[in-house]
Amino acid sequence: MSADFKFASLPKQRVPRVVISTRRIIADVLSSGWVESMIPFLAFVCVVIGILLTTQDYFVASNLRNLAQYSADGGLIVLAMLIVVAVGGIDLSVGSNFAMSAFVALFCFHILGLPVPVVMVASLACGALIGATNGILAGLLGCGALLTTLGTMITVRGIFTMSSQARMVEISTSARADDLWDWVGFEKLMTMPVSFWVLLIVAVLIFVLFRQTRFGWHVLAVGGNRKAARHGGIRVKWTIFFSYVLTGLIVGLAGFLYAARQNSISSDTGIGMEFFVLTALVVGLGGFVPGRGAVVPVLIGFLTIYLLNNAMINSGFRGDFVQLSMGAIIILILAIDVKFRKNRHRLLASTYLDPVKITLVPTRGMAGLMPDETARKLTGAQILASGKLDGPEDVILDEEGNLYCGNRDGRIVKLAAPDYTEMSVVAKIGGRPLGLAFDADGRIVTCVAGMGLIRVTLEGEVELLTDLTARSLFSVQDDTSIRMADDLDIAPDGTIYFSDATKRYDMDNWGLDLLEGRPNGRLLSYDPKSRKTRTVCDNLVFPNGVCLTHDGRHLLVASTWGCSILIFDLNDLSAGPRVFLDGLPGYPDNVNRSSDGGYWIALAGMRNPIMDQAMKYPRLRQRMSRRVPPTNWLFGNLNIGGVLKIDGAGKIVDALWDAPDGPLYMITSMREHKGSLFLGGVTNDKIGRLELEDADRDWTGPQSYRGRS
Amino acid sequence: MAERKSMAEAGRRKRNLLEIIVVAVTVALIVIFSVVVDGFATFGNFRVILSNSASLVILSCGMAVVIISRGLDLSLVAVMIAGATTFTIFINADMPVALALLLTVGAMVMIGLANAWLIAYVEIPAMLATLASAMLVVGLFRFAILQGEFLLLLSKTNPAVIALSGDLLPGVSVSAVVMVAALLVTWFLLRGSAAGRTIYAMGDNFQAARLTGLPVRTTTITVYVFAALAALCAGLVMSAASGAVDFRTVTNGTLLFEVILVVVLGGIPLRGGRGGVLNIIIGVALIAVLRNGMTLMNFTAQMQDVLKGLVLIVAIVADNYFNPRDTETDTVGDL
Repeated sequence: MSADFKFASLPKQRVPRVVISTRRIIADVLSSGWVESMIPFLAFVCVVIGILLTTQDYFVASNLRNLAQYSADGGLIVLAMLIVVAVGGIDLSVGSNFAMSAFVALFCFHILGLPVPVVMVASLACGALIGATNGILAGLLGCGALLTTLGTMITVRGIFTMSSQARMVEISTSARADDLWDWVGFEKLMTMPVSFWVLLIVAVLIFVLFRQTRFGWHVLAVGGNRKAARHGGIRVKWTIFFSYVLTGLIVGLAGFLYAARQNSISSDTGIGMEFFVLTALVVGLGGFVPGRGAVVPVLIGFLTIYLLNNAMINSGFRGDFVQLSMGAIIILILAIDVKFRKNRHRLLASTYLDPVKITLVPTRGMAGLMPDETARKLTGAQILASGKLDGPEDVILDEEGNLYCGNRDGRIVKLAAPDYTEMSVVAKIGGRPLGLAFDADGRIVTCVAGMGLIRVTLEGEVELLTDLTARSLFSVQDDTSIRMADDLDIAPDGTIYFSDATKRYDMDNWGLDLLEGRPNGRLLSYDPKSRKTRTVCDNLVFPNGVCLTHDGRHLLVASTWGCSILIFDLNDLSAGPRVFLDGLPGYPDNVNRSSDGGYWIALAGMRNPIMDQAMKYPRLRQRMSRRVPPTNWLFGNLNIGGVLKIDGAGKIVDALWDAPDGPLYMITSMREHKGSLFLGGVTNDKIGRLELEDADRDWTGPQSYRGRS
Repeated sequence: MAERKSMAEAGRRKRNLLEIIVVAVTVALIVIFSVVVDGFATFGNFRVILSNSASLVILSCGMAVVIISRGLDLSLVAVMIAGATTFTIFINADMPVALALLLTVGAMVMIGLANAWLIAYVEIPAMLATLASAMLVVGLFRFAILQGEFLLLLSKTNPAVIALSGDLLPGVSVSAVVMVAALLVTWFLLRGSAAGRTIYAMGDNFQAARLTGLPVRTTTITVYVFAALAALCAGLVMSAASGAVDFRTVTNGTLLFEVILVVVLGGIPLRGGRGGVLNIIIGVALIAVLRNGMTLMNFTAQMQDVLKGLVLIVAIVADNYFNPRDTETDTVGDL
């Protein structure tokens, strides 16, 4: 029955280089993480363009240097506020704290005559003390942050006004000058003011804090979800406390810089600062969002508000108008943010599904083999482990005849030969184990949906081989992670070829990929020697079963929604696939070798003319997915199927069906072993075993395969 | 069952404890001030306390209702000043008093509606929405109406001003009457109306109230419009008494702070759901006595601020102890 084929004479399968679709780009942008960071960036660009159009010579070096000089303390306070907001609080006392620290600096410098480093330490200590007060109340005692800091704001402001009134004259008449003091206040370092560099350093430190340090991660965790943080073993209250202290410390530094620059204070120093800072923060974060340590967007937000403020004052608007516009900006951004956050998933859901027209080759080569035309051979199958399994997508047998299969609960299960009643767990992986293969050392390599490629020894050791591949060109969404590893086979040289069925859906909704009909999948390879993962062929239509041909030189890949079997030449993979067989009567799942030089093809579902027709009308499927409840969708017949037998040249020679109400109506995988065919199904709770009459009684998969190589 | 009842009992006793402490402190302060401060324990001073605290009481009524519904209105003082400004502009332009009042009420209702719309329909957390709307309102009024001034003077000869700052009956000032009226209306709103039941339900558990089908959105409108109108009344009483509308009241934040202080000290938990008119009276009594005593003792405004700040912090800590909150279920709006 064995017959050969000529690879070069098979028709080529067209594989698109890139898939471009507006709808997909919108959906990918919506689901990407950086979309929120665009708000401050866009606002910044708008403000800069506005200033360029209305003001002459604004962006010249001298003015920029000036701006850098005066913006540093504001920038520091925004960063300080970012820390408390990230931990899930708010600090209204920053303005008062700022003024108080500046006063402490001036007092220490002019009246106590202390050296400048000591002055700085005093300033920082003052800030940290006020921060610690907030921290004790809002963090350790768990009082409401808003009112607590409102209390400290008023109290500190009162103390500041009293003390500055008492000492104002002394400070302004003091003649003390100090080189270091003036250096901090006025000198330029590499053409930029010192305070600018301080801001830059602090920004970098906070950036590193949030990205790289334990404390920073704890802050974000607490801000994100206090309960989860506590359950994770984080000392929530102390984290909050230290966040407030750190905030106070940075505000103290800002006060010190301000004091060195201005050399004076007035009763309105720092008044209204909290509103300014809050506006900058809301613009930067695109809302009031705890648990986000976005340093760069927040600095951009600050710059936007600062420039806007500065430009408005420069062009003659009064402070009250600036206040008016700040209020309006906050409301606008919060409104957009709240609504966007609330409706994002709806917007995403309505744009995510992105169908395309696909025209299938009509069913062919099935004369006399369709279910109603032939005997239902699977009705005679023996049922193994009925009710003990849950979704054995693939089955595999070792040389002793023991059977292994994946289970829905993420385990690899062994059914011992010869009667397959004794069940034991080989390994607990997690995820959803799908395709299985034995490597040369007798270890199981499995494709686990949601995890990647995993190797399991029969002793139960689990090792992740790969879960990442190279990012494809021109993709908005990061597609490096392997989302739905489906089936694999191992080439004679040890290279593992496996399919990532779809990059856009997961194990629980992979059926939706049918409604799309887009080439969302890819064929990958993993080389155990170099431990490198490579994308062999991107943009395949739901590549599912993977199987080497008997000669070990070609690779068969089932394209499920294409109802075809593609073939790759392993010596020339870049030439792309050719069509080995098309016009199948159903949706092919796994493909495996048979003892007589042919192949078994599992059909996960049957085609029907209505669905074939629907696949030609993407708008129809689009509308249906939006307007019709999922239970009423026109959908592929993914719950009934069978097994096809083809010869080595790709001609269908036999078909195995079960009765419509039979126990084996849905089959996703089959393995031949010593004259029996073992059948698994992704939604079955059992494994079928069919005695094959005319098969080789000694043929086992691994043996025949290894013997050849 | 019995255990649960006794737990509820204990909770109530614990809560009442705060009220008792505040009342005791007030009485103690009165006694101390009477002994230490000259001229504190006179009938004249009592009237001063009463008339000085009128606007505070009215504002506190507005704030109390908002806080009981688990909201927060940081724009209260801004709205108060805006209301007073609007009214002053109208009567300074020789508009009939009734028409001026009507227009002002309309304007303040609009502000309250805007706040409520932002909170209930746009769903911005109340704290942030009212913080921003306060900035917006003050900015707008100073920019568009006052042309940058801080102060707006009332004409002392205007009959409306005279009526508001005068006596209704001999010995009974108009401001005191407005104050009592505000307390009565608040009492009716909270205890006598359907909206009041919804307000308590919202404060107790907002999601539960919403899911039960209570009209939380329209009730939010009621709450913030009520707060805006209370602010207007307070603004009228205050500006009539002082003869000027002073925008620095908003910018220095002291009054807003006092209002929150009254509510917290009175025993209305910041988490809402509990409290009533009695709590407002208790809170105001302490603050008014404290304020009056400190003024008589010649404390500077800054010193008073510092002391009040400390009192607020103590009150918040006490509130936190008596009405413990689960910070783990906090959302952004529950800061």
